[in-house]
Amino acid sequence: MRADPIALGGWQRRERTLTIAVVGIFALVLLRLFVLQVLEGSRYRELSEENRIRVEVLTAPRGEIRDRKGRLLADCVPSFTVTLDPFDKAYARAPARMDSTLRALGPILGADPAELRDKIQRERKISFLPIRLKRNVDIKTVAFVSEHRDRLPGVQVESEPLRRYPLGLIGSHLLGYVGEISDKELADPAYGDYLSGDLIGRMGIERRYEKLLRGQDGKRFVEVNALGRKGDFLGEKHPVLPKRGTDLTLTIDLDIQRAAEDAFEPGARGAVVALDPRTGEVLALASKPNYDPNEFSNGITQERWDELSGGGNYPLFNRAIQAAYPPGSTLKPFTALAGLEAGAITAGTYFAQTCTGEFRFGSRLFGCWKHDGHGSLAVHDAIVRSCDVYFYQLGLRIGLDRLAAFMSKLDLSERTGIDLPQERRGLFPDQNWYDKHFGPGRWSRGVILNLAIGQGEVNLTPVKLAQLAAFLANGGTLWKPHLIRSIGSALPRSEAPDDSMSRVVAVSERSLDTVRAAMASVVSDPQGTGGQARVDSLTVAGKTGTAQNPHGKDHALFICFAPVESPRIAMAILVENAGHGSTAAAPIARKVLQAFFHRAAPESAAVLTGR
Amino acid sequence: MFSARFSPDIDRPLLLATLLLTLIGIAFVFSATSMPSASAEHGLYLKQIAYLFLAMLLGALIAAVPYRVYEGKTSVLLYGIGLALLVLTLFIGHVGLGAQRWLGWGPVKIQPSELAKVATVILLASQLADRKKDWTQIKNLVRPVLTAAVPCLLVLKQPDLGTSIAFVAILFTMLYWAGLPFLYLFFMITPIVNVALSFFTPGWLLFLGLLALILYRSRIRLLPLLLVVGVNLIVGIATPQIWNHLQPYQKQRISTFLDPGADAYGAGYQIIQSKIAIGSGQVFGKGFLHGTQKALAFLPEQHTDFIYSVVGEETGFLGAAFVACLYLLLILRGIKVANRARNRFGGLLAIGMTSIFLYHVLVNIWMTVGLAPVTGLPLPLLSYGGSSLVASFLQVGLIQNVAMRWREY
Repeated sequence: MRADPIALGGWQRRERTLTIAVVGIFALVLLRLFVLQVLEGSRYRELSEENRIRVEVLTAPRGEIRDRKGRLLADCVPSFTVTLDPFDKAYARAPARMDSTLRALGPILGADPAELRDKIQRERKISFLPIRLKRNVDIKTVAFVSEHRDRLPGVQVESEPLRRYPLGLIGSHLLGYVGEISDKELADPAYGDYLSGDLIGRMGIERRYEKLLRGQDGKRFVEVNALGRKGDFLGEKHPVLPKRGTDLTLTIDLDIQRAAEDAFEPGARGAVVALDPRTGEVLALASKPNYDPNEFSNGITQERWDELSGGGNYPLFNRAIQAAYPPGSTLKPFTALAGLEAGAITAGTYFAQTCTGEFRFGSRLFGCWKHDGHGSLAVHDAIVRSCDVYFYQLGLRIGLDRLAAFMSKLDLSERTGIDLPQERRGLFPDQNWYDKHFGPGRWSRGVILNLAIGQGEVNLTPVKLAQLAAFLANGGTLWKPHLIRSIGSALPRSEAPDDSMSRVVAVSERSLDTVRAAMASVVSDPQGTGGQARVDSLTVAGKTGTAQNPHGKDHALFICFAPVESPRIAMAILVENAGHGSTAAAPIARKVLQAFFHRAAPESAAVLTGR
Repeated sequence: MFSARFSPDIDRPLLLATLLLTLIGIAFVFSATSMPSASAEHGLYLKQIAYLFLAMLLGALIAAVPYRVYEGKTSVLLYGIGLALLVLTLFIGHVGLGAQRWLGWGPVKIQPSELAKVATVILLASQLADRKKDWTQIKNLVRPVLTAAVPCLLVLKQPDLGTSIAFVAILFTMLYWAGLPFLYLFFMITPIVNVALSFFTPGWLLFLGLLALILYRSRIRLLPLLLVVGVNLIVGIATPQIWNHLQPYQKQRISTFLDPGADAYGAGYQIIQSKIAIGSGQVFGKGFLHGTQKALAFLPEQHTDFIYSVVGEETGFLGAAFVACLYLLLILRGIKVANRARNRFGGLLAIGMTSIFLYHVLVNIWMTVGLAPVTGLPLPLLSYGGSSLVASFLQVGLIQNVAMRWREY
């Protein structure tokens, strides 16, 4: 309310400073306008009338994927893509011209003009880039577009790398495929550096290592005139060159992968996972039926997609990691190990009741798969001949708590952590689980009988079973299965094991030896169930399994490792609805082992002396 | 009725500039949406005219009530309403990005950040009007800084970096006007410069050297000196450390946030097309409605953020420079009014409102001529948009309010 002479005086000075600053800033604006409009105006007038400046994306080729021996599994080849620039002047003046362009293009691209129109309407809102109408067009289409350029304003043929899988069906689940990014992903800030129409890895290695494989797209501003000729637009930044994606070398051995996939009967469904028990490296990972990832690179029709993602067989489904099955008798070695470790039995323990083909628990009868019985046997023969009655009694003696505790030490209810997306978790239930799902006191203690023989609520993925087989093979180490041998030009991973990749489970050498000896006899002993996995001059340890399946025929399973003295390969095999493990799964193991050892024979001596 | 109350001291050049710019705006909203390819936007100029009537009414109302009424408790109330609207925006924005369409907000959507800027200026003016306080004391600066920081952060969360920086620009202009030495303002921004430079070691060292020299020569008190040194040291050392510990996707988010143009091909393209549009206008322009770039380049923003490039293309250097000069006139009159006012609150009010214009006009025009990144700020009075127009008229109304009552203490 009183004047403040000092403040007013201050304002005077401040007004002058501020006025000078504002006038200066506006003078700069006017100067800039003068340069743009008066000095350089004629150049810009030319650009606005005749030419068009547009952005051209220089798509980075994805990194190559090779097997451990350097054989190519995925690469990129040049291809042609037909694009349309919806911001072309012709369409700004007469939007209806778009329809005639699309009608002219429709037949040669084999696409419905209305669908193309929808795609354009959707994508022009997202970026100012020309829109990809069709990838990987043939030379006829390229010729058509250049001949009819005057009728097809804004249409260009651009060169783009195309993802190619030279082996087709081989390793499809392992590799995954690439497809156009979805609108839902585009809306997610995690995919902020993707543009509509960009390719992104789907499933498998392509998905898991998308960040490495993708590389970085470049761009440049080009001038396009009415004749479609291009030149770099001078006066703007230099083109940003694309950065090729990083190459990956996998731990996969193509020979074994191929042998595993070829070992299946045509039309069979199942999975094989082979690991190196010394390192946790995945040597082969197969799932049947498979699909050709090349189909996705070109863009896939809805009908074909429905066929692949469903179609009764679900070919896209990776049975090696996404499906969990009751392990059946392949779990028995681990039940035996639990019993030995818990002190419930020794190698020489015989149970009171001999196997007569059935076992009475309360009012219920539990059968042995061999209806006339196995007689009296100890743990070795019980594994060799897969006697259910022995394991019922063993299960009862160990008890649910101790058995579940041991299985949880082996992470049966956890993922293995393999570097592939969408791995499923297995399950070995404990008391809490039953209480939670059936209600306290509402489940029978008889569940232990089923669990002990790998039936009932327990279920495991093939990759988990392979990890368990490797655990027996290497004497107590649980490896996180992994697929990358080297990234880019880096040297292969050193042989020294990385702590985060493995965990040693304390089990006594004696118990392990008992179980391993029994598993060797499963294959070598004439009474063993795994005779079909026998390979000449090779000691193989294995265990068959037959998982009861309420929905149809039993699933056949087999786990194994070889050579018994110093194992270099451990495997799990699953064949859906194929019946008994000894006849349906063990022969597949034999074929894979033959491929592995036949080829690797010279190396074996060095390895033997090395270990 | 009202006219009787408006004093002859109303600032006529300011009024003229405002009305001329508004009319030019409506004409170019019409032009920018007149192409056949923009059929969905053909009627927008009519809406803009409707907004204009609302804006004039509200502007006249806010000018008619003696501005002293807005001081003190009223300013706190207005500020509170502004903040509440901002919070509400965040909340509704969270419920669903796509849901807005269904809620039928569509055409009557208001942009609370525009109104929050006006409310923040009123409260800041009210706080800084207290001449008993020594505004070079750090403890006295806490309140005004917080007053600007809260809406600034709320808008940042939306996220709208351009508008949130507006709050910083407003605060600094008003602090300067309130008597804070320029040097202090410099010190206040040093940590920000520090963060930006900390990835470029030679620049950072040069900046630290410069800062040390200025600190040495400035002879400021010990406490502020230690504070400036300490904050700068911590920020300079911590920034690269924190950055290195971020996940790649977090880094990606931050760089996209700071520079939306970096990863979207669209933004760089818009700037080039804007420059071609303005440049191709040459001296006299292509004539009203005869621009060609507008059709292809900026959809859907040619009538909002990029309206100045349509002006430049169709009216050439003469038209674009004329519009720029009208803005210059508007801002200089604003400063004049602020200077003339005898009341400290009135002066601060006028300078704050003027600073909003200054910041928006500069950032928007610089963007269209390729001197600033794409930020998404409208050009006041010219760009299509009801909230922006109403806010602009409230600002002009408040400046006129002070102009008419300049004699009052």
